Amino acid sequence: MTSGFLSDLPLYASGLLTTLTVSLAGIALSVGTGIVLAAALRSPLLYISLPIRLYVEFTRGAPLMLVLFLIYYGGAQFGLVLNPYVAGVVGLGLYGAGAFAEIFRAGFNAVPKGEIEAADMLGLTPGQAFRHIELPQALGLTLPPSIGQAINLVKESSVLSVITLAELTKVAGTISSITFAVVTPYLTVALLYWAIVESLSRLGFYLERRLAVKGY
Amino acid sequence: MDNSLAVVWPALLDGLVTTVAVSLSALPLGAPLALLLAAAGRGGRLLRSASAFYVSFWRGTPILVQLLIVFYFLPFLGLELEPVVAATLALALNTAAFQSEIYRAGLQAIPMGEREAARMLGFSASQTFLRIEAPQAFRIMLPALVGEMQALVKNSSLVSVIAVTDMARRAQQVAASTFRPLEAYASALVLYVAVGAVLAGIGLLIERRLAKGVGR
Amino acid sequence: MATRTTAISVRGLEKRFGEKTVLNGIDLDIHNGDVLCIIGPSGSGKSTLLRSLAFLDAYDGGDVHVFGRMIGWRETPLGRQRMSAKELADVRRPLGMVFQHFHLWPHMSVIDNVTLSLRLVHGVPRTEAEETGRAMLDKVGLAAFADRRPDSLSGGQKQRVAIARALAVKPKAMLFDEPTSALDPELVGEVLSVMKALAAEGMTMVIVTHEMGFAAHAANRVVFMDGGKIVEEGAPQPMFAAPKSERLSQFLQTWRERAL
Repeated sequence: MTSGFLSDLPLYASGLLTTLTVSLAGIALSVGTGIVLAAALRSPLLYISLPIRLYVEFTRGAPLMLVLFLIYYGGAQFGLVLNPYVAGVVGLGLYGAGAFAEIFRAGFNAVPKGEIEAADMLGLTPGQAFRHIELPQALGLTLPPSIGQAINLVKESSVLSVITLAELTKVAGTISSITFAVVTPYLTVALLYWAIVESLSRLGFYLERRLAVKGY
Repeated sequence: MDNSLAVVWPALLDGLVTTVAVSLSALPLGAPLALLLAAAGRGGRLLRSASAFYVSFWRGTPILVQLLIVFYFLPFLGLELEPVVAATLALALNTAAFQSEIYRAGLQAIPMGEREAARMLGFSASQTFLRIEAPQAFRIMLPALVGEMQALVKNSSLVSVIAVTDMARRAQQVAASTFRPLEAYASALVLYVAVGAVLAGIGLLIERRLAKGVGR
Repeated sequence: MATRTTAISVRGLEKRFGEKTVLNGIDLDIHNGDVLCIIGPSGSGKSTLLRSLAFLDAYDGGDVHVFGRMIGWRETPLGRQRMSAKELADVRRPLGMVFQHFHLWPHMSVIDNVTLSLRLVHGVPRTEAEETGRAMLDKVGLAAFADRRPDSLSGGQKQRVAIARALAVKPKAMLFDEPTSALDPELVGEVLSVMKALAAEGMTMVIVTHEMGFAAHAANRVVFMDGGKIVEEGAPQPMFAAPKSERLSQFLQTWRERAL
């Protein structure tokens, strides 16, 4: 069993790399889209904020697997052919954006409106008030839930195996079909995911402490 | 277009029954274990470590991997279970970890003073729990439990990977047979979101009825 | 309408929140050097009036002129248009505001709170701004607290920092929205002292307050509001000694009963 494991090491390594890069890309796309959505949610124009609201609620209840199928297989129906990696990143990105939008919206809402009024009365432009008053405080408030959501997306990245992306979960399946050992590969992969999740958690605590020291 | 849509909905609704059945069973199945875990969290060092370990693993690894491990491991225990049962079991083990955190937080939220007051008035420990702590804890935990139920419904889509004919698998079948993956997956997504919305509505109704009883 | 000595003038001011009319035709002139207290029961529109002077709430009818310029609205041939943010900031410049809940910025030190506007808006270099800032903090008795964080301060201290922050940009008139209402009773005095000192220096002040003692002794004018209208106005001592209206009589009576 051990020699088998060592010879499988390159496969695990490549799977791990794929999982890490696709998760990172998916998280980045999610965060970026989430910021735009959160800004749009603040709009007083109903025809802007309402569709965004619906989108956020929709991604709450939608399983990632079906979102991926929709993009990967459904897209092909329109002639939109994406490779599994790109489809995976886009899927993760659009799927996770809703949660980030909600996190950012709540974070900015939590900054007391009176502090902005005080800034207005002291002559600060809306841009200055945003940069110096709202953003620093919102950042401190949104960091913990953002780390949590990033961790969720890393776990969800295992679903990308169903659109044939060779990330960790798919690699485990590949190895088990070669070696006929079924539990060991999946257990190994579980431990690898766990290690990633734990590391992100620790990173989150560290960042929180650093922000607290700076006084946000 | 008309032809395929006529085929899509009956198939999806058929799968919906399995999806709801699996989700609805997994939640109460995991609850006793979750209560044990929450209680163990207050116990001695060994119990606390064991409980923390379980919760960390089942919250820190992807559900798909958990499903596959349980599914492939059961034969080793001499258990030949139907995929549906194995899937429900895996989901139950998963939800137990998440529910234990909800129960832990819910019980902690009740002020110590209420417990003390009840004991001073002559209530036994179990009476205090049943009449004072549990009802209040339930009201506090209800939103989180509704959220967990919604998550279960979403996550149940993964059981399609171990050949359980839930709604996700039905969507795949319909997509393959009609060559219209877009309609199939979009419809399935709408149904999943609808179920989530219904759950939220039920949760609100229960909350309102509980609030009436208390008269706060 | 606007004379050399008029700081703020209000004509026919109206404000509605949905169905409810909160300000029902207010006429008021505030002259340079006035210390004007606005008193009245809850819901009389006191805070709304004050906030309308700074256009923190947009008024629906009438006009408010701040140092000769209409605030918030521009008269155009097509009717009234909202001022741009830049114009509004410009008209607001001579006004300073102190809020009931202080609204200090918790993620910055006290001195940064006081100097931020000087540096960002008035282009004052950091060292000069800090000098001014520390001088203002000294004025309110908090020079030693410059490098502390707001959350380590008491309510009274926070409000005094808020006053220093407003003073740092050299306003010509200051608005106070129930400045002591959110404070524990024993902290009210330190804030009122600062306000009395400001008044003695000749600062133009408009204060919404429940502190009748302050109104009686530090103000030169009092306005009593009820139901969105000014019911009575005049010098505080004669007005409190001999109220002309039934409403003011009742209001003063309940205050006297509570004060003992």
